[in-house]
Amino acid sequence: MRSQAMFFQRRAGEALADPRLQKNFAGLKDKFVGMRARAVANYENDFEELRDAGQAIRDRVIDNLDVWLELFEEKATARGATVLWARDGSEICEHVIAIAQRHGVTKVTKSKSMLSEEAQLNAALAAAGIQPVETDLGEYILQIADNEPPSHIIAPAAHKNLDEVADLFAATHQQPRKTEIPALTREAREVLREHFLSADMGISGGNFLIAETGSVVLVTNEGNGRMVTTLPKVHVVITGIEKIVPTLADFATLMRLLPRSATGQEISNYVSVCTGTKGEADADGPEHTYFVLVDNGRAGLVGSEFQAMLRCIRCGACMNHCPVYQTVGGHAYGWVYPGPMGAVLTSLYTGIENALDLPHASTLCNQCGVVCPVKIPLPELLRKLRERQTERGLRPWSERLALSVWSRLAQRPALYALATKLGVRYLNWLASGRDRIAVLGVAPGWTAGRDFPAPQGRTFKELYSSRQEQKA
Amino acid sequence: MRSFRHPVCFLHCGILPFHNAKLMRVALFVTCLVDLMRPSVGFAAIRLLEAAGCEVVVPETQTCCGQPAFNSGDRRAALALAKKTIAECEGFDYVVAPSGSCADQIRSEYPGLFVDEPEWRRRAKALAARTWELTSFLADVLKVDTVPGEFAGSVTYHDSCTGLRSLGIKQQPRRLLGLVAGLKLKEMPESEACCGFGGTFAVKFGDISAAIAEKKCINAQAAQAGAVVGGDLGCLLNIEGKLRRMGDETTRVLHVAEVLAGVLPNPDGKAG
Ligand code: SF4
Repeated sequence: MRSQAMFFQRRAGEALADPRLQKNFAGLKDKFVGMRARAVANYENDFEELRDAGQAIRDRVIDNLDVWLELFEEKATARGATVLWARDGSEICEHVIAIAQRHGVTKVTKSKSMLSEEAQLNAALAAAGIQPVETDLGEYILQIADNEPPSHIIAPAAHKNLDEVADLFAATHQQPRKTEIPALTREAREVLREHFLSADMGISGGNFLIAETGSVVLVTNEGNGRMVTTLPKVHVVITGIEKIVPTLADFATLMRLLPRSATGQEISNYVSVCTGTKGEADADGPEHTYFVLVDNGRAGLVGSEFQAMLRCIRCGACMNHCPVYQTVGGHAYGWVYPGPMGAVLTSLYTGIENALDLPHASTLCNQCGVVCPVKIPLPELLRKLRERQTERGLRPWSERLALSVWSRLAQRPALYALATKLGVRYLNWLASGRDRIAVLGVAPGWTAGRDFPAPQGRTFKELYSSRQEQKA
Repeated sequence: MRSFRHPVCFLHCGILPFHNAKLMRVALFVTCLVDLMRPSVGFAAIRLLEAAGCEVVVPETQTCCGQPAFNSGDRRAALALAKKTIAECEGFDYVVAPSGSCADQIRSEYPGLFVDEPEWRRRAKALAARTWELTSFLADVLKVDTVPGEFAGSVTYHDSCTGLRSLGIKQQPRRLLGLVAGLKLKEMPESEACCGFGGTFAVKFGDISAAIAEKKCINAQAAQAGAVVGGDLGCLLNIEGKLRRMGDETTRVLHVAEVLAGVLPNPDGKAG
């Protein structure tokens, strides 16, 4: 997906001005935040210890990523799968199209894969004459909505409400408009069933790759993952190289964290562990299994100050709890991943010069950091990205000038005292006797949406020193 | 009778306030926002600390802890201001700031700033260990059980993010407010939700910041309290500014130090 991250401000503004979106966001937040809180409260052991354990597992993998990947490749190959490596999005597309052509595929069903969004795979497939059909309900909705990008990593169509989906279904399926959720999902199932049965290849993402068994794990709620991975004769897994976990036991630990953090479920409706190709004794499964393991910027983070980001298990809790995401939604972030994790990933994977606003579009409230199941210090990473921007001279000159004037002043107490004394008087003059300033020329961003309370009149320093003099 | 407990004597010295322990010397780190916008908070802090038996010193040359530079990604400026603050504040038993976010800058961020200056790192760590946010200092270190303030009415408390999530400040201000004669605390929904201030964020992304502030204000109003109280002036300016723009002329917005000390600004906002 081509990044639109440079347009964050504008797109955020559009989202703020759209009352329907604002209503959808509010409902989303109440649901996700409340459900996670309940799940954490009901967890039988200490959830904080579980987070520590989750972090430890992810760190263990990422510290020796190459070793675990080799083991995975060995185990997966032994079970009949083919492991391919992709450096970037275009290599993903090349691999997948080559596989499809090798097996004479004309239609693929897809279960949710954010990597295929990174690669703009659907467009590439269509261009190669292969029809991609999204089968995750949210992704399907977006596909028929003229290929809208997802706005959330686990609820891709979170920005749409029931009415919009009803309109979309009626228009696309040429059927009477339905307004009840069960009726709509039934209609989607009927449409998708045809595709499940006629597709020759299934493409899925992967929540985890298990090194000791060479398996991929899919964590889903809709069952479409099962259809995609078992019905067609070819199954292609596209996933990031960082998704590996050492053992099944480690996976079990992470499974305690993932659904609770994501949707507040103790466990998702479906957990599928897919290992290799269909064996003699198996009732179903693909004849051919391929893993496309993708770098696309990940390997470069190993050993860097941003390595912690690779722990991410894509639960979405950080965005669900983010006051900025809750207010502007996912599309404003402009690329595949939104919210705090998206601000970090978009900067790192598409270039920090292409996402200048994202690291700054955070209050650093750390609500994300305290809910992240693998304890990624997201605010710290955002701050480090800000530092990298400063070092590379990427900040606007006006901001640099203001910061440098201010910091020079703050290092010279006498001058600072004078400047603040004058500044306070200026602000008071602006307030002209009222307790607030309605338009502040030096910070129009502040006063566009709220008043600026007037200062009390003198600086603390002035008042304090005159008080000391009186005492003496 | 003033109740005062000195950490080195472990006795409750209500009767002999100064026992044989020497007076605790506390540096007040006023914070740049309080200095500029709301001196009454600084005087309230002095009053509280003195009432609890501390000798309060205001290091004269202090300006800003450097957090705006740090959070803007200007490490060099942050480092320079950290050194300046360390040099000014290190000669005291404690450093106290009426702000969770400034106190946290010194406590949690200063040591990490000095990557290849071990001597400065040592000094930063020593200062970090002695630096406290005002309400946690009063509640956790001094363990006060009286405060000078009186307040006829109800308040609702906004938990500022850094104080809450980095310093664990949650019960301390509530316990202290419980000591204020006449005060009734009414909790608002989602008191822990960010108000949208975020320092320079409030200016760079004014529209998003104001939209987040609006949600905070709606929650604060739902508590139906006479005043919104908090421990960080940045958040309070944001909340007050939004309440007024929303047409709310009655809900007061006060710093917790002002309420605890009984040093309230006049309703017109001027220092009382
Ligand atoms: S950064 Fe943490 S909270 Fe956000 S999606 Fe990843 S694992 Fe979940």
